[in-house]
Amino acid sequence: MTEFMSAAVRALEKAGAGFGDVRTEDRTAFVVRVANEQIQNVNEVRRRGWGLRAFVDGAWGYASGTSGRSADAVQAARKAVAIARRGSAAGVPTSKLRKMPSTAITLEPKVRIEPRDVAGEEKVAAAMEVCRAERRDEVANTNASYADSDWRFELANTWGACLQWREVRIRIAGQAVAGEGDRRESAFDFRDGTAGWELVKALDLAEFGRGLAQEAVEMLRAAKPPAGLMPVVTDPGVSGLLAHEVMGHASEGDEIVKRRSFLTDQVGKKVGSALVSMYDDGTYPGAHGSIPFDAEGTPAHKTTVIDRGIYRGFLHSLETSGVLKARPTGNGRAQDFGRRVWVRMTNTYFGAGRDKKDEIVEETKAGVLTRKWISGMEDPVGGSFQAVTQSGFRIVKGEVGERVRGMTLTGDALSILKSVDRVSKEIALDGGTCGKGEEDYVPVAAGGPFMRCKIVVGGG
Amino acid sequence: MRRAQSEGADAAEAYAITFTSQSVYIEDDVPKVAEERSETGLGVRAARAKRVAFSATTLASPADVRSAVGAAIAGLRRVPEDPDFSGLPTEAGKGEVRGAWDGATATTDTAGLLDAAKTFTDAVRQSKATSVPKAIFRIQDYTFRVANSNGIVANHRGTLVFAYLTAKCGSKGKFGEGILKAMNTSIRPIDFAAHGATVARRAAENLRARAFKGKLPGVAVLDPLDLGEVFLTTVGSAVNGEDVHKGRSPWAGKVGADVASAGVTVRDRPRMPGGLASGVADDEGNATQDRTLPEAGRLKGFFADRKHAALLGVPAGNGYRRAVATVEGAYTRPAETEPSNLVVEPGRKSLEALLAEVDSGVYVEKFAAPEVNPLSGSFAMEVRNATLIKKGELADHVKVALLTGNFYEGLKNVVGVGRDLTPSHAFVMAPGCAYVPPMAFDGFELVGQS
Repeated sequence: MTEFMSAAVRALEKAGAGFGDVRTEDRTAFVVRVANEQIQNVNEVRRRGWGLRAFVDGAWGYASGTSGRSADAVQAARKAVAIARRGSAAGVPTSKLRKMPSTAITLEPKVRIEPRDVAGEEKVAAAMEVCRAERRDEVANTNASYADSDWRFELANTWGACLQWREVRIRIAGQAVAGEGDRRESAFDFRDGTAGWELVKALDLAEFGRGLAQEAVEMLRAAKPPAGLMPVVTDPGVSGLLAHEVMGHASEGDEIVKRRSFLTDQVGKKVGSALVSMYDDGTYPGAHGSIPFDAEGTPAHKTTVIDRGIYRGFLHSLETSGVLKARPTGNGRAQDFGRRVWVRMTNTYFGAGRDKKDEIVEETKAGVLTRKWISGMEDPVGGSFQAVTQSGFRIVKGEVGERVRGMTLTGDALSILKSVDRVSKEIALDGGTCGKGEEDYVPVAAGGPFMRCKIVVGGG
Repeated sequence: MRRAQSEGADAAEAYAITFTSQSVYIEDDVPKVAEERSETGLGVRAARAKRVAFSATTLASPADVRSAVGAAIAGLRRVPEDPDFSGLPTEAGKGEVRGAWDGATATTDTAGLLDAAKTFTDAVRQSKATSVPKAIFRIQDYTFRVANSNGIVANHRGTLVFAYLTAKCGSKGKFGEGILKAMNTSIRPIDFAAHGATVARRAAENLRARAFKGKLPGVAVLDPLDLGEVFLTTVGSAVNGEDVHKGRSPWAGKVGADVASAGVTVRDRPRMPGGLASGVADDEGNATQDRTLPEAGRLKGFFADRKHAALLGVPAGNGYRRAVATVEGAYTRPAETEPSNLVVEPGRKSLEALLAEVDSGVYVEKFAAPEVNPLSGSFAMEVRNATLIKKGELADHVKVALLTGNFYEGLKNVVGVGRDLTPSHAFVMAPGCAYVPPMAFDGFELVGQS
């Protein structure tokens, strides 16, 4: 442990923290953005700092900074304890944390080709190749981006933990915008994960770009989506959005403690059809939301949230596992060193079924098949959700029909999951970032199989 | 900047920002978490002929300046030329905008935020069975300086207050929630008691709301908070000079054409007193000035950063990196074309008067997420707080429904513009702020289960 870390921990103890920890972060990133085959930005960014937190009689105080001086950490520790005491005096009920065994571990990521070992020119060329491949007459605007990040963490706490780890992520993305008169339609896609340059090497960049252009052009001819409650075959990305937005946020332990979740009293109860199983797994190899430890130093974990339709449990931080008397699940995460810890998901997905995607479509008389997600919004209190897709297709008499524009899906979460009657063998996960409400973004992934269920659909 | 030039850059720009931040998080009516943070960072842009590279670093020691400059200079060797690069700004905005920084707010500590939180929480709890499951109160005091090798120096100091407010009511597994955001450059004008009453009412109405059945075409009256976000992502993109230059904007080539109803005028107002994004200089140092965008429905022009202003032949002044809910991370990205304060000119009608004119429609106070496709304008947004309007009166509260339509078409069918502006923002890290009144649109459709 560095002198800085040990000074911080000693100061937290001396100032009277019931529990305290210090986490340092050193984050580097390399970002390339190109548009219309011209370079827009090549950015090299380093952001680092530390955050301390103190737990006093149920209240938390946080203080953070960027200097490397031990004296500043000592001062911040005193400040964090004073802030926590102020909260405690304001009436925060006393609670206890779930104590974790003290460990000293250093973990390195499983990356085959370190992005830092790849020349910047190669990264620029990769983005440019995607952008170039998007070019065709009907496409008004071509875009591509590349980003890698290398985050180093060190964590020590008053229980004796001393951890070091790295997280390496990579992402390549493209967007083609097709134009006809005033009309603009686009197609966007990406590949990402906790991986190295091998992820880019494995991708046929030109094919990736051409596919986007083709899809954007097809979107110009896409019809308005149908509206109302109907059978929907969700693709793996949209299934993941349902897992994440519908059930994942509502399973976050802090929402349960506050009774701000419609799942608060649902453990052991049926929440979906027997075909529905759901997991949050921070150990999922290569997925964008995978982490060695959460921001509290708890090792990542695979948590079964739904087992064959039966709701099994929640995701936890040290505090919620203490309050709810459960095992920590490695879901205490923070956006960065200056932000508080919340209970957050990692990689959230529905488990595979036994059907083939084509069979699911063939057995659907009328409905829609979704095509890629754009965004989602949770409603842990009310149990509804909003999921926005990039596009989709009508299903008519068991066949995939005309393409339709982006749709929004909504409905009552439990009604939707109970309506699931087909689940495919194949599953996939997509990465992204997730906010708690609308702030505190952390890297996550979500996914699942093709699933058929009944959802309210609409689109403009 | 000097170091970058000594290491081989023809031109260089340095942007340094420092901020302190105080936050209080309410959970279950009590201040569960409080934070204090500070951060200083530097962004360096170096150029050699048509090559441009950017690097950024947290400033923790003098060595960080050297490493940031070194990274930018090294970047020049690996980037292709940008044929559109036309140099760095040559004239800086000087002075300050009244109300961008508030001394009393800057000196408010977590104890002061706790008082605001208590006022809000007490107001929420005046309603029976209503509580505050989650609320965030944050103040930031920030200063930035941008300088470049053309000799310009611009400074700006600001304060930002951001509150994310929720209330929950109900029992026995049936709950309703109300959500609201409040933003200002000063904490004093924010009426936390009134906001408490509003979210408590929304929670109660959300609890009483029933799933909407069928389809309802008609007039939609939209609350300004979410509507502002829609304006930022649609109009803010359509008049964005970068999007226009790249061929992404649906309003490219439409200057002089009618893009909205005659009652719709939108301006970018970077010098609006007390504006969240206000400043005499943008984040490149360019002097800012008001831009008229659609005026009485007719498109007048676009806004742009230095690079795209030169390409489009419009004045520069809209190169931004700082957001208005938080300036965190502002130094980690170069300035890009963004709106400052995107202001919809208010009308004369109160919200009540707007609603009274609607024969059949829906009043939406809160969407799940107000997302509209900025390229096509199409949308389908889940309503979280919505009330049917029948013959000018508010009727049933509804949920599990989507408001669908096309926003660019909706702008041509505006049937009412309210008088009271509310500030809002889009993605938390995205620059730009909207000041929008409540507005009534014809031609949207509410879709529920059928």
